[in-house]
Amino acid sequence: MKRRVVLVDDHELFRAGVRGELAAAVDVVGEAGSVADAVPLIRELDPDVVLLDVHLPDGGGEGVIAGVAPERPAVKFLALSVSDAAEDVIGVIRAGARGYVTKTISSAELADAIERVAEGDAVFSPRLAGFVLDAFRAGEQVGGDVELDELTAREREVLQLIARGYRYKEIAARLHLSVKTVEAHVSSVLRKLQLSSRHELSRWAQQRRLV
Amino acid sequence: MSALYFERSGRDRVVAGVCGGIAARLAVDATLVRLVFAILALAGGAGIGVYLALWVYSGGRRVWVSAFLLSCAGAALFIALGLSGAYALGASLLVAGLAVVLLRGGSLRPGGSLPVLGVALLIAGAVIFLGHSGARGSFVAPGAVLGALVLVIGPWLFRLTAERAERIRLQERADVAAQIHDSVLQTLALVQRHAAEPTRVASLARRQERELRRWLYGSGVADAASLVAALADAAADIEELHGIRIELASSGDAPLDDRTRQLVLAAREAMTNAAKFSGAAEIAVYAEAGPDSVAVFVRDRGSGFDRSAVGADRRGIADSIEGRLRRAGGTATIATAPGRGTEVELVLPRSKP
Repeated sequence: MKRRVVLVDDHELFRAGVRGELAAAVDVVGEAGSVADAVPLIRELDPDVVLLDVHLPDGGGEGVIAGVAPERPAVKFLALSVSDAAEDVIGVIRAGARGYVTKTISSAELADAIERVAEGDAVFSPRLAGFVLDAFRAGEQVGGDVELDELTAREREVLQLIARGYRYKEIAARLHLSVKTVEAHVSSVLRKLQLSSRHELSRWAQQRRLV
Repeated sequence: MSALYFERSGRDRVVAGVCGGIAARLAVDATLVRLVFAILALAGGAGIGVYLALWVYSGGRRVWVSAFLLSCAGAALFIALGLSGAYALGASLLVAGLAVVLLRGGSLRPGGSLPVLGVALLIAGAVIFLGHSGARGSFVAPGAVLGALVLVIGPWLFRLTAERAERIRLQERADVAAQIHDSVLQTLALVQRHAAEPTRVASLARRQERELRRWLYGSGVADAASLVAALADAAADIEELHGIRIELASSGDAPLDDRTRQLVLAAREAMTNAAKFSGAAEIAVYAEAGPDSVAVFVRDRGSGFDRSAVGADRRGIADSIEGRLRRAGGTATIATAPGRGTEVELVLPRSKP
């Protein structure tokens, strides 16, 4: 059965393009162009995955997740953006998105990413992996909630390989792990990111702007 | 046009049509205006002075003459009201100053400068007026003078600030327009010319995307001197030259110096090799700047190759990549096998050993 997907993006042209490209792979059941439209629509349709633009005119992807997640915890969010601003991307991931891909991604890769998010995996693009490594390194320099926030050596290794362009299967082969284990590491990184304290993240954001 | 502009009336006239003109401008009955002037004329002849001043001024001309006549009328009025000579002088200077400022169109007129002489007259009048009010002087006199000054200068200051904000806004807009023109519009023109070549159009679009992104999210000049920015430049060049897609990721960044520049050149060579020989459609580049070392990884899923089969006369890898890194104090590792793709790993310690 095809996955039921809702598109949230304020560019109609982009939505039309994605809908056309994904028509064969998924079932696009609804579209919205703003936070105000998206929240009731997603609550009503209860899709498997929401493709979510990081930037929306009335609040951004974080607003949509905050409005939907309490009522529909099963809906998965995949952030999609042209933005290179790490703070924005990390922000929407922290709000609860299961992954981030850039809008230049090919149709096949996007369909694959939707499927993986729907199954509960995390989808990290190389760029997101770089941002996440940055965020955790800054957290270590600042100190603070070390127990919770530090990455294990293995998790760091997995993230570095993702940043270098390795797919999960290639990472598994290189580190002599199963693909399931690699996925578990990535999900664990995602969880740590979502749980790390707001304080450290804002310190990190500040550092980025200063550098 | 000043709010105080008026023309003498040609039809409704008794002497020169001043009262008729004012009545028409204010939309009141001319008889009422004439009555006011008649009463003022009884106060030391002030009404006559005002009438003359307005006659001279009508049509927006001879501001100074009419201001002088007005101040004479003012003096006459104040003397008639029983004020001392000095008071009357101060008050009439105040009136003349106000008249000049207001008749010049008021200080809110866009582009107008503050009438300096008018303000000088106002201040002189205020000084004389206040100087003679002494201890008995009520709060009303200085208050009124201050109020007049605020009325005249306040709007002028407000307009200056508003104009400054507007100028800054226009400047920003011009910067954005220039940027869009230099980059986006040029690229769109190129895209139209090469519409029949999809790879060229795609690489143009990607290059433009990178530039626009750096402009939007980057921090301008400082970024251009960093390792990641230099890698992005190199990647964009190679995308354009070879019609290939390069995915650049990074964690941390390092300043661009002689050694990191060598690192960028070696990475560029690795990207060029991947673009030319691997046959892959995409290259992944990852830069990591840690506390101890800076590393760049260039990876493709293409054909790979057998190092031993590359002729000794092909100096690209040995010189441009390995030799370059060795001279800079770093190491280059090339992991490849036929059919397995290629990954070039370039590592440079932060300080030269």
